[in-house]
Amino acid sequence: MNKEKSITSIVGAGLLALAAAVGVPAPAAAADGAALLAANCLSCHSALGSTISRVEGQRKSPEGWQMTITRMQEQHGAKISPQDKRALIKYLADTRGLAPTEAAPWRYLLEHDNNRVEALDDTYKDMCARCHSGARFALQRRSEGEWSLLMHSHIGLNPTLEFHSLARDRAWFQHAVGEIAPALARDFALDAKAWTAWQAAPRVTLAGSWRITGYLPGKGEFEGRMTASAAGEDRFELRLEGRYADGGALAGSGVATVYTGYEWRGSVDIDGVALRQVLAADARATTMKGRQHLAASRRVGGELVAVRESAAPRLVAVMPGHLRRGETAELTLVGSGLDGAVSLGSGVRVLEVVARSADRVVVRARAEGGDGLRDVAVGAARGKGLLAVYERVARVDVEPANAIARVGGPGDAQMEKVGVAYRALGWAAGRDGKAGTADDLRLGYLPVQWSIEAADEEAEKARDQDFVGRIGADGVFVPGDAGPNPARPKSLGNTGRVKVVAAVGEAGERVEGRGSLDVAVPDFVQRALD
Amino acid sequence: MKHLKSLNKKAQRLDAAEGKPEVIEEVVAMQTVVGCTATTDPGWEIDAFGGATSLCQPMEADLYGCADSCWWPAQVPDTMSHYPDWGDGKADATKDWRKLDGIFEDKI
Repeated sequence: MNKEKSITSIVGAGLLALAAAVGVPAPAAAADGAALLAANCLSCHSALGSTISRVEGQRKSPEGWQMTITRMQEQHGAKISPQDKRALIKYLADTRGLAPTEAAPWRYLLEHDNNRVEALDDTYKDMCARCHSGARFALQRRSEGEWSLLMHSHIGLNPTLEFHSLARDRAWFQHAVGEIAPALARDFALDAKAWTAWQAAPRVTLAGSWRITGYLPGKGEFEGRMTASAAGEDRFELRLEGRYADGGALAGSGVATVYTGYEWRGSVDIDGVALRQVLAADARATTMKGRQHLAASRRVGGELVAVRESAAPRLVAVMPGHLRRGETAELTLVGSGLDGAVSLGSGVRVLEVVARSADRVVVRARAEGGDGLRDVAVGAARGKGLLAVYERVARVDVEPANAIARVGGPGDAQMEKVGVAYRALGWAAGRDGKAGTADDLRLGYLPVQWSIEAADEEAEKARDQDFVGRIGADGVFVPGDAGPNPARPKSLGNTGRVKVVAAVGEAGERVEGRGSLDVAVPDFVQRALD
Repeated sequence: MKHLKSLNKKAQRLDAAEGKPEVIEEVVAMQTVVGCTATTDPGWEIDAFGGATSLCQPMEADLYGCADSCWWPAQVPDTMSHYPDWGDGKADATKDWRKLDGIFEDKI
């Protein structure tokens, strides 16, 4: 989709992303939610106490409920205003959502961090995750009857799925209803102690001051402060300020809504770039963790951690979190209420305090001593294992290890390119001196030299590496143009398979890591959860 | 496999992978990248072996042949049930591919 057109059409049609509900009224309270459900849904569904048929047998993430309501609109002609839709999503996620522990293993899909391999039971892999993610159904809880009805709607809406590979070799529908639905009802049960306990747990507001650290592709690591001011029930106005690792300032503002008591969805503008935040608060509402991604391209993003500030001094990060033995480098200690002497752990000398405030202390330091993690302190604020001291990088992991990019453009073509933001995680060998073993010492993300090469002989023969796109010095891979390419045999497009190579060190000490990248055709269907 | 002979390229590659867990592991890894349709034949992103050689290429050549029959419902708007008008005005995908737009259901 053309970017300009997309923005115009979104604004023109009054469409806003779920997390970008700017200026809408405060969400409906439970009673209003039930009334909205009745008003919008009872022309087809039947009333069941305070809820309605079908809904009573399901629980989902906010995005799961969004998909359900969208389907009611698209497939069944339900007329629901954007305001009512937002309020219904909030009400349903609050009253029929997922407990934090239920969502935890599958958060990558909520965060749209999809360039990863899913850990799924083979049964579900073959039956469900051969078309869409496994997390899409794992982020739902249903009664057996509701899981069974899901199979019915699958075959009703996608009747040819029985002819697909891994479907035509079995009586797909009978297997789905007879075996898979009961298995799902067992593994992803509607009634769960975790949900009962979470509903009964006291809610702690997420308003307040948060110390944030994170990574933005193309910009690098950053640290700062996010202030969340209450602006209605579970709704917050946000102010952000901070700085990137290269010293550049960071400033922004936005809004956030909290669903189910812990699901934070923020929509912020940082230095003119629209971003979305998908975070989960812990039970005591002292830390939020998740991902921040470009609003325009949800695959491109990085981690975001927010630690609540209080009267007590706190140290949250050392940037960078690694120091090579024998080298002198500048380190930034990030926290709040930082006051007092700086200690970087055994063998690490602070040569000079370059700058300091209550929020950050910049020091020049030199490391000696053996490989290992060092505890860091500034006065009473302490951080365990925040600094890794090492002699040499023994291993580099490319993250993501397996990824898919999408060709797009050029010019007036509707579908945009979908890139991949790469980072390189460094490791020292650990006590056994061997890389790739359990005792490897995690050093954190390293600056590396990026390149691509053909994935294998077949890809080399087709010269995939010359067509699929380029990776920049910042680790961002930008795929090639869409459409058939006459320069390639059989008018192949600029798709192909390559390996992404991260290299550190000079000749003789050079260490490389590799990740698999499939540069594929566009994904024309972007659902709330893929 | 003693009495069976692999006839096509796919089957030969599977034969070659037999007994090499690391090869099979790599294939599985690429098959299960989140939301990637790989187990249909052909897949949308990659084929059943983690490669691209068995895909329908270029995809524009026969796009509607598959979209009409709902072949990759999670990746390509199926004109059978969900989005009957998706291909309207873009009859020849090899010429009209620039006009093909996505369905963005993540917006409210």
